[in-house]
Amino acid sequence: MTSLLSGRGLVKRYGDAYALAGVDIDIAAGEVLAIVGPSGSGKTSLLHVLAGILKADQGAISLGGQRIDQLGETKRSELRRSEFGFVFQSGMLVAELTAEENVALPLLLGGRDRTMAVSTARNWLGRVGLAGKETRRPGELSGGEAQRVAIARAIAHRPKVIFADEPTGALDTKTGHATITTLMGAARETGAALVIVTHDRDIAAMVPRTVSIRDGRIEHSVVAA
Amino acid sequence: MNSFQLALRVLRVDRRTQVSTTLTALGVAVATGLVLLLVSLPFATQARAERTLWQNPSSLASYDSSGAAVTSPDATVSVTTSFDQVDGKRITRVDVAPLRDSGQVELPPGIDRLPAPGEMLQSPELASLASSKTPAQLADRFGAKPVGLLGEDALMFPEQLVALVVHTPDTMPPGAVELPRLASGQAEPDPLLSLLAGVGVVVLLVPSLVLVASASRLTAARRERRLAALRLAGATPAQVTAMVAAETGIAAVAGAVVGMVVSPVLHAAATWVSWGGGTWLAHDFVLPWYVTLLVALVVPVLVVGAAVAGLRRVVNTPLMATGGHTRKPLSAVRLAAVPVAAGLFFWTLMSSSTNNSMVPMLVALGFLMWSPTLVGPWVTSALGGVFTKVWRKPALLLAGRRLRDDPKSAYRASAGVVLAVFAGSMALTLMPSFEREAGYYSPYRDSVLYLNTGKEQASGVVEAADERMKRYGLAERAVPVGQLNMRQGQEYLSGYVVSCADAQVLLPVRVSCRSAPAVYAPSGAALDMYEYSDGEEKMTPLPGKPVPAAGLGVVLIDPALLPAGAPMSDVDVAVPPSAGSREAARTALLAASGGAQVISKETELSDQNTQLADLRRVTVIGLLAASLLGGLSAAIATAGSVMDRRRTFGALMAAGTPVRTLARALRAEAALPALVATIGAGALGTFAGIGLFGLVSKSAPVLSPWLAAPVVLGALVALLAASVCAPALNRVRSEPLADE
Repeated sequence: MTSLLSGRGLVKRYGDAYALAGVDIDIAAGEVLAIVGPSGSGKTSLLHVLAGILKADQGAISLGGQRIDQLGETKRSELRRSEFGFVFQSGMLVAELTAEENVALPLLLGGRDRTMAVSTARNWLGRVGLAGKETRRPGELSGGEAQRVAIARAIAHRPKVIFADEPTGALDTKTGHATITTLMGAARETGAALVIVTHDRDIAAMVPRTVSIRDGRIEHSVVAA
Repeated sequence: MNSFQLALRVLRVDRRTQVSTTLTALGVAVATGLVLLLVSLPFATQARAERTLWQNPSSLASYDSSGAAVTSPDATVSVTTSFDQVDGKRITRVDVAPLRDSGQVELPPGIDRLPAPGEMLQSPELASLASSKTPAQLADRFGAKPVGLLGEDALMFPEQLVALVVHTPDTMPPGAVELPRLASGQAEPDPLLSLLAGVGVVVLLVPSLVLVASASRLTAARRERRLAALRLAGATPAQVTAMVAAETGIAAVAGAVVGMVVSPVLHAAATWVSWGGGTWLAHDFVLPWYVTLLVALVVPVLVVGAAVAGLRRVVNTPLMATGGHTRKPLSAVRLAAVPVAAGLFFWTLMSSSTNNSMVPMLVALGFLMWSPTLVGPWVTSALGGVFTKVWRKPALLLAGRRLRDDPKSAYRASAGVVLAVFAGSMALTLMPSFEREAGYYSPYRDSVLYLNTGKEQASGVVEAADERMKRYGLAERAVPVGQLNMRQGQEYLSGYVVSCADAQVLLPVRVSCRSAPAVYAPSGAALDMYEYSDGEEKMTPLPGKPVPAAGLGVVLIDPALLPAGAPMSDVDVAVPPSAGSREAARTALLAASGGAQVISKETELSDQNTQLADLRRVTVIGLLAASLLGGLSAAIATAGSVMDRRRTFGALMAAGTPVRTLARALRAEAALPALVATIGAGALGTFAGIGLFGLVSKSAPVLSPWLAAPVVLGALVALLAASVCAPALNRVRSEPLADE
């Protein structure tokens, strides 16, 4: 397996407490991976470190063979904007913007012009089942719909890796499953790797590979048969 | 746990509440300090006026129906006051003659004893100035020996130039009144400064309260969620209200106490601000205790009241506060506020010029000042609407959506500055217009010094003044100028008994002089001298024919041609000094006349110039203070806006949004309403200024480049507000996905 994103010897401390205590992980292009573990196990810290949102205290992270942990904040921001997509719990959409503006935002930030960004955003909203709701604000959408807007936003600029942090945390089981299905479908369509952090075993069961983490260390990695 | 204990617990554990409470307390402290300063101004002017009652004998004298002073049977002192100038500064000269034993004259504070005739007391500043000049330039004017200093309780302000010159009754200058005492009493506060203090309370208190509101908004979103949770858990509206009152009350009371503690510092700073020609004594600003107490109670009560009023939504519908909700768009009816207010103002202006009642006009002016508060949010929303249509960059889209979504909040931070800019623009329109109108009437050229003497005294004064000027080494000579009422045909003219050569130097006339003595008039027609006597006009023909001098608006009569017994109405003694000899010539005239009022351009314009400079100064100070407060409010509001949306901004940053893009959006969000509001308020203030000027003058108002100052201030406020975007966002960037 060729690794697209890899972490070696990752350590992250908050004061005296270790969130990550030497983690090695590899993620292949187009792979779908769930990181599971109890609260406080370090799964969100691992996602944030891999995505360059947090800097690891020790260890190395590479994307396509290039070290990314040594980049400055500006370069890491550019990297996150162009190579990564993010889906957070409860969407984290910009409340004042419409659904299509929220989806268009990363494209606009990447320098696309308005017409192309809005047209791409409309296209993706249609593909995640939100055609006709493009001009609604987040407050006018249900929780599941808001998450689908977030998925469209994460995928619209065709990232290499999508990071999803408890994307179903605020949803009921049925909506949660539908959201994960949409997310995996969108990732498959664009060839992006998908890293899902969840504490929901049912969600993890939908994913081909599961990495279990506890006390900042990888407990085991399971590939579904 | 009661409301107060809950408020204290939140304050102890929540960092943002601590910041908000500190800033709220700071805002209340500023508001309390400013109000304490502004309400002390009328008391300060009253204290000044009471200290200087003795310098203004006319305030203690009684006058009969003809305007003549009535001599009191128990008079102990004869007093007259005149004003003089040196180096552009006004000297107040009080000439006094005890009518009985000087020990019997009741003296005001600051004057320990009345010196003997021929002696004088002077203010420390005058003594210092006199010692730095030659006697000819200053000291000789008083004709008395300095024997002591006036205390500060006898002075309007510490640097006032005052001379108390003691005479015998027979050597007193003309115009003296006889009074029972040279004493103090109760005086009225300066009405202009009292009015300005009232305007200042509005112009500075509003931005202070906006500052408080902005500070309390720092925790508004979180507090609303907390209170909504409490309401959902069963807390009654009264309990929730009590919690908010307790939370805000802690900050408000702390702020009021700090405001009271720092108010002496503000008062001390205010003593350096010149008003009426000088600074203040420290104890001028001491307020009666009951006023201090009232302010210290009213300001926190207002702040707590505003906080409680702002909770209506969470108290009435707690679920709405926990979730998102769509705000109703603002009604376009708001737009009518400005034209209605402007129309009302214009109508009351017209009415007040006919019925002399100012009250409706002032009410309409207040409405006009308030009208931008209604229109501003609508314009802000409309501006946001335009942005959301024409955006090309994400920053403009984000700013436009925010302005469109919550225009009242976006505008609120500018509300205080709007009032200041309105008042400032009005003042900046009125002041240059008044300055152009300022002036005085004098029959002489601007450079001439003159004094009015009786006909009999004129020659003595001229002789003494000439002797003095010669002694001082001056080439100038005093010239007596008699005045006559003349008639030529149907035209009434002023006649001056002066040689043609002297007239060319002293009077603003152009005439070709003949070598022989002559009479010059606008035409060659015969002239009559006339006088009113017992209600009748008495005409006396002036012998001979005048030399016609086209364009000459007066009659010049050479003294050699004046018939004996001509009905001269008055005689002036005039000197045309050069710039270098001006002070010495003034000294010569004053010494020669024994202290009569020497009139010049400087003395006549002194009050007007001082008043205009005062107005200019307080306008600038008021505008700067209001802008600073407005800028701070806007900055805190911007920081609050970042905090309110921390999770969203954090998520955007985590997804790679550059801080500069978000900062640009926030800058536009903060700066644009401020700029729009200040430009609008500036235009309205200018309109009000033009209207008010029309009340007092028919000429066109002066619109100076200074009217651009409000826009500059708007930009200043916008810059201040925008300056906090980047640091606030950088704090979020350090931990973009951390909980609040």
